[in-house]
Amino acid sequence: MSPGAGVEAVLALVVITDLLLLGSSRLRSCIRVVAVQGIMVSLLPLFLHGGEGAARAWALTAGGVAVKGAVFPLVLLRVLREAGVHREVEPFVGHTLSVLVGASALVAALWVETHLHLPATAAGPLAVPVGLATMLIGLFVIVSRRKAITQVLGYIVVENGIYAVGVALVGGVPLLVELGVLLDVFVAVFIMSIAAYHISREFDHIDVDQLDRLRG
Amino acid sequence: MGAGVWIWILLGLPTLFAGWCLVLRAPRQVLILVGVGGAAWGMVAGIAAWRLLGAGSATAAYGWLHVDALSAYHLFLLGLVQGASSVYAWGYFRSEVATGGLTAGQTRRFGGLWFGAAAAMSLVLLSNNLGLMWVGIEATTLLTAFLICLHVSPLSLEATWKYLVVCSVGVAFAFVGTLLVGASAQHLGLDPSEMLLWTRLRASAPHLAAGFMKLAFLFMLVGYGTKAGLAPLHSWLPDAHSQAPAPVSALFSGFMLNAAFYCVLRVLPLVEAATGDRGWGRDLLTALGLVSILVAAAFIVFQRDGKRLLAYSSVEHLGVIALGVGVGGVGVVAALWHALNHAVAKPLAFFAVGRLGKLYGTHDLGALAGAARRSVCWGAGFCGGLLVLIGVAPFAIFMSEFQVLRAAAEARAFEVVALFLVGTAIVFVGALRHVIGTAWGEACSAPAPEPVQAMDAGLVGGALLCLLVLGVWLPVPLANALSAAARVIGARP
Repeated sequence: MSPGAGVEAVLALVVITDLLLLGSSRLRSCIRVVAVQGIMVSLLPLFLHGGEGAARAWALTAGGVAVKGAVFPLVLLRVLREAGVHREVEPFVGHTLSVLVGASALVAALWVETHLHLPATAAGPLAVPVGLATMLIGLFVIVSRRKAITQVLGYIVVENGIYAVGVALVGGVPLLVELGVLLDVFVAVFIMSIAAYHISREFDHIDVDQLDRLRG
Repeated sequence: MGAGVWIWILLGLPTLFAGWCLVLRAPRQVLILVGVGGAAWGMVAGIAAWRLLGAGSATAAYGWLHVDALSAYHLFLLGLVQGASSVYAWGYFRSEVATGGLTAGQTRRFGGLWFGAAAAMSLVLLSNNLGLMWVGIEATTLLTAFLICLHVSPLSLEATWKYLVVCSVGVAFAFVGTLLVGASAQHLGLDPSEMLLWTRLRASAPHLAAGFMKLAFLFMLVGYGTKAGLAPLHSWLPDAHSQAPAPVSALFSGFMLNAAFYCVLRVLPLVEAATGDRGWGRDLLTALGLVSILVAAAFIVFQRDGKRLLAYSSVEHLGVIALGVGVGGVGVVAALWHALNHAVAKPLAFFAVGRLGKLYGTHDLGALAGAARRSVCWGAGFCGGLLVLIGVAPFAIFMSEFQVLRAAAEARAFEVVALFLVGTAIVFVGALRHVIGTAWGEACSAPAPEPVQAMDAGLVGGALLCLLVLGVWLPVPLANALSAAARVIGARP
């Protein structure tokens, strides 16, 4: 399999996980879908830079798969269990409409990409629009879902999108910076999970639309 | 001793203190370490800033860490704000520790996160690599989140959640901006490890791809602007500032917002040079600054909560700083000077309203009526601080705002002058009524009068005196530091 085909397969899977996330109604399956997406995105450097600087690519992939594919789902599933929340997503926007929004985000990202005049990169023409669409879909998940956990998932999806854009746009961000970013994202998700757990203890729910007493 | 050593001291000392706080057993010891260690850290940061300003610039870690006049000046601000806030935190939490309102675990957590935040903010100021700078900003968000809900309550958790989500997602946009900066430099053939180094980018700034750089600046302005609390991206700010304990609010307002805005200041010369010095980025800053001033003014008029009032005042003052940098000329120097004045006045006001809130059990301005008669020291601090903040002459904030206005007039941007005057006039009238109420209002609740303590009087008196002196006389070393820092940002041609 040529590297290009591998990248395209990974990107297609990222798009599929985007749409699956928008369409699924169970929090547990949402967490799993985002974990699969995290693993897919983490594989990108391996396909793109497997030849030169292979150690760097392997380190990034190993770190990404461990954090996004294993630690995040474990932490989030644990919060789900401890908080005893209802397992449904309870979106403000229905699932069918959400999937349509996701599809339009993809179209919009493709349209933007054709107008950006990006230099040709090893990642091929699809990585940047898929990353942009994933960012938009992550933002949409954050604003359109009611549970605190789904906002954390949205944040992870935004980060996945940014990661894809970054890998495609500038292959050579120094390893130390990449690892620092990964550490920050890891700690962010960890802290948000703790905060969500406290919220569930204090309020008996984790519905963020009811966090509206501070205003003005 | 080379100047580079200071860089390692600045990163190492707060990290050491943070670890030390976590292993201390008694909460009283942790508080003493916060007070004494924080003051020492503030002083070290001040001395380091002085030495680094004298040395011109310093580099460490193969060029990844770099200090010039702009970062040295901000280091001085950081030391000032965090030193004073640490001393204040010692007094603020002492009664809570004595009564058991703050457990040993909570106190240790406070100490660890407090010094951790200092280390993260130093990293922001010291890093030459734009990616590392981003890591520092995100780390400040994560380290300070649990400072807001030190006392767990529904309201503080709500504020913490909003802060975490809004700032994390906002700052994620700044990372896209950082990547785009890298993309704009790709055709220069820099080594990948040097691609994001600010000094390298600055040296070849005119050759950066203009389109990418514009896009990068937009993303970074939105991202870091969210963290800096510029309207309309400020939604997290009043909640976090009002729910956090007063020392934390003071640190947020006095320096953390400036640390985020510092990142915008770093990118500004790059985008200006890449787009041919036509003021493309500066116009955006001017517009965002004006919007911040006007939005904050609208909210200040109807504000009933003392801490929320001060929070919106921070939005206004960050707006003034952005406006000053935006109009350029003498405005850049004035904006940096304004940052110093704000970093003295706003912590003072937060200190005072925090202690008054402890005395009265509320931050509602109606309930605080006549507070200046109950607690002479903190009442005077709140009224004085608020008067300075709304721009009463001859205090320093009036002078720096006047210089920003002068710069706008010199740039013949008269619509900016008009809108700026409207905004500050609304703020003045809206907040003056609260000053009068707190100073002379009819008291509706009467807690026992509080005796004045020497340390409290020193904080209030020192800050007010400092603001008065800065208003009438600008020391020569400070003026030199300001103009050196302004040269790094560059003026509008």
